[in-house]
Amino acid sequence: MSSLEKRLAAEKRFKFYGMFAMTLSLFFVLILMYKIFSTGSGAFVRTTINADVYFDPNFIEVSSNSSKKEIMKASYVNLADQVINQNHPGLDEENFIKVREMYTRKFDYQLRDYIVNNPNVIGKTVNLDISASSDLDQIVKGNYPRNVPEAQRKINDYQLSILDSLDSKGKMSKTFNFWFFTNGDSRDPETAGILGALMGSFYALLICFSFAFPIGLLASVYLEEFVKPGKITDIIEVNINNLAAVPSIVYGLLGLGMLIGVFGMPYQVPLVGGLVLGFMTLPTIIIASRASLRGVPPSIREGALAVGATKMQTVFHHVIPLSLPGTLTGTIIGMAQALGETAPLLLVGMVAFVMEIPGGAFDPATGLPSQIYLWSESAERGFLEKTSAGIMLLLSFLIIMNTVAVLVRRKLEVKW
Amino acid sequence: MVDQNSNYALQTSEVYVHYGKKMAINNVALNFPKNEVTSLIGPSGCGKSTFLRCLNRMNDVIDICNVKGKFLLNGNVDIYSPDIQVETLREKVGMVFQKPNPFPKTIYDNVAYGPKIHGIASSQNELDEIVKDSLHRAGLYEEVKDRMDDIATGLSGGQQQRLCIARAIAIRPEIILMDEPCSALDPIATAKIEDLINELKENYTIIIVTHSMSQASRVSSKTAFFHLGNLVEYGETGKIFTKPDKEQTNDYITGRFG
Repeated sequence: MSSLEKRLAAEKRFKFYGMFAMTLSLFFVLILMYKIFSTGSGAFVRTTINADVYFDPNFIEVSSNSSKKEIMKASYVNLADQVINQNHPGLDEENFIKVREMYTRKFDYQLRDYIVNNPNVIGKTVNLDISASSDLDQIVKGNYPRNVPEAQRKINDYQLSILDSLDSKGKMSKTFNFWFFTNGDSRDPETAGILGALMGSFYALLICFSFAFPIGLLASVYLEEFVKPGKITDIIEVNINNLAAVPSIVYGLLGLGMLIGVFGMPYQVPLVGGLVLGFMTLPTIIIASRASLRGVPPSIREGALAVGATKMQTVFHHVIPLSLPGTLTGTIIGMAQALGETAPLLLVGMVAFVMEIPGGAFDPATGLPSQIYLWSESAERGFLEKTSAGIMLLLSFLIIMNTVAVLVRRKLEVKW
Repeated sequence: MVDQNSNYALQTSEVYVHYGKKMAINNVALNFPKNEVTSLIGPSGCGKSTFLRCLNRMNDVIDICNVKGKFLLNGNVDIYSPDIQVETLREKVGMVFQKPNPFPKTIYDNVAYGPKIHGIASSQNELDEIVKDSLHRAGLYEEVKDRMDDIATGLSGGQQQRLCIARAIAIRPEIILMDEPCSALDPIATAKIEDLINELKENYTIIIVTHSMSQASRVSSKTAFFHLGNLVEYGETGKIFTKPDKEQTNDYITGRFG
C-alpha cells in the first residue's frame, strides 16, 4: 500500500469514528428525551369525575351577596361531602370514606373556586368535572397495575368497582391539567403545580442578573481598559478563571456562611439564592466580557482618542457598545447555567415545601431544579410524572435561553 | 532656536523616544511651517510613525513608550506640559490613521461625534452644518448626502478614509496628522485623497507619513527623511528628491535601500 493510500484510509477511518461517536451520543440524548417525555406527558393531563353539584345553601356558610374575601375564608368540606352523598346514594360510613378517597382531597377548594367565580350559583345545580385523587388518576392512566392482589394496590376492590361503574356511565374523563402551571407545590400530586418554583427561579435569576451583570461588566471593563497589566492583574486573571471552575456547592456554602450567617439574611428566599447564583455567574460574565472587549479592534479606540475623547468616553461610547453582544451572550449562557444549578439552592434553603406562590424576592420559595429534586424524593407515583414534567419545563427554558443567546449574538454582532 | 512669533505651527527639538529600553527616536528636531504639507519618509521601522504619534500624544496609551523633548504648539504651548489636557491638544491636532477606522455607527454620527463631545455646536442645526461642511471639505458630501444614516462601515475603503478625514476636521483642528493614509487604498482612491490634501493645506497644517516617495513629492512642500530613529535630512521637497545633501538620502530615494 502506498503512503497516500494509507493516509486516505486513515482519514476514512477517522471520519467513521467521528460518525460513530456522534450517532452514539445522539442515541443517548434520544433515549433521555423519550424517557422524560413518556413519563412527564402524563402530568399535563388530569382525570376528572363528572358529578352533579347542588350548591345547597344549607351547607354553605356564605350567600351570593358575601364578599370575595368571605367566600374565600369559608369552609366547603360539608358541601363536598354532601355532593358525594348525592352522587353516590346509600353509602355507609366505611364506604363513604372509600368513595371520598377517590376524589381529590382539595374537593372543597375546587368548589370554593367555582363559587368565587360564579357567586350566583348558590341554590342551583351544576354539572362539574371534579378532579380525581392522584391514586385513581394513576390507575386510570395505567401507571398502577390493576391485576395485583388488593393489599398491594392503593385503590381497593370496592373503589375499583365504583370506578368501573362510573366509567360505564361515561362519567370519567380527562382534562388538560392547567393546575400544573397555576398552582404552587402541594402534598397531593393532583394539585401540585410548578408555578411557585417557576416564580422562585424567576426572582432568583432577576437578582442574579441585577447583581452579576453590572458588577461583571464594570470589573471586566476596568481590568481590560483601565488597569495597567502587571503581577496583580495576572493574579486576578488566574483567580477569575479558577473561580469559574469552582463547584457550585462551594458558592452555596459561601451564601450560607456569609449572607445568612454573617449578614443575617433570611433563609429560603430568592434574594439569597439569586445572590449566590450571582457569585457563581460572575466569573463567567467577566471572562466572556473581557474576551469580547479584547475583540474590539484597537483602531476604534485610537479613532475616538484622536478626536479628543477621554478614555472613559472612548470606552463607554464605543468599546462597550461594540462588546455588548459578546457580553450579553456570555451573561445569558451563565444565567442558563445558574437556572439549572441545584446545589446552591439546597444550601440556602430554597428546597423546602412551599405552597404559596412567592410574590417577590423576599418570600420563601423553591427554584425549578430544587422543586424537581423535591418531587423526585416523593413516594407517590403521581409525583414521578411531575418530576419529569418539571424537567421538561426546565429543559425548555434552557433551550430558549441558549437560543436567545445565539440570536442576540447574530443580530447585534458588528461585522468589520 | 525657538522663534516666539514664528510661522511654525509646531516646533520640536531634542526629541527622544524609548520603547522600554529600545531607542526609537534619537534627538530629532523638526519644525512644521503653517499651512504647508510636510511629509515624513524613511524605511520601515525608522521611527517616522512614532514621531508622528508624539505630536498628538497618541503614544500616551502605550505604557512602555517614553517620550522626552520639547514640543511647542504655535510657538508657546508645550504639549507635554502637565497643564495641558491631552483631550484639548487632540482637539487642535487631529489624526487620520493608516487603516480607515470609522466607528461602526452612522455616517452622520461619525462626523458629529467629535463636535458633540467637545460641545462645539450649540444647536442641532449648527451640528448639522458642521457635519455637512466637514463632509464637503473631505470631498465626500455628494456621495453620501442621501444616506447619512447608513452605517459607515458599509462605505468603500477610500470613502471610509475620507470620512475619517471629515471626522478629523469636524473639530476644527489646526494640524492634521496623517499616518500613511493611502496605504490601504487603490490608486483612484489615493488620487482623491491626495487632491484633498492639496485643498486642505489652505486651512490646515498637514504632516503626513508616507512610504510612497512619489506621493511625498506630489503632496508636500517640505520633506523629512528618517533613518533608524535619526532625522537624516530635512528640506524643501524638491531639493530632497533632486539633490539631497546626504548620501544616505540619495540612496533611499533612488531605491538603493529601504
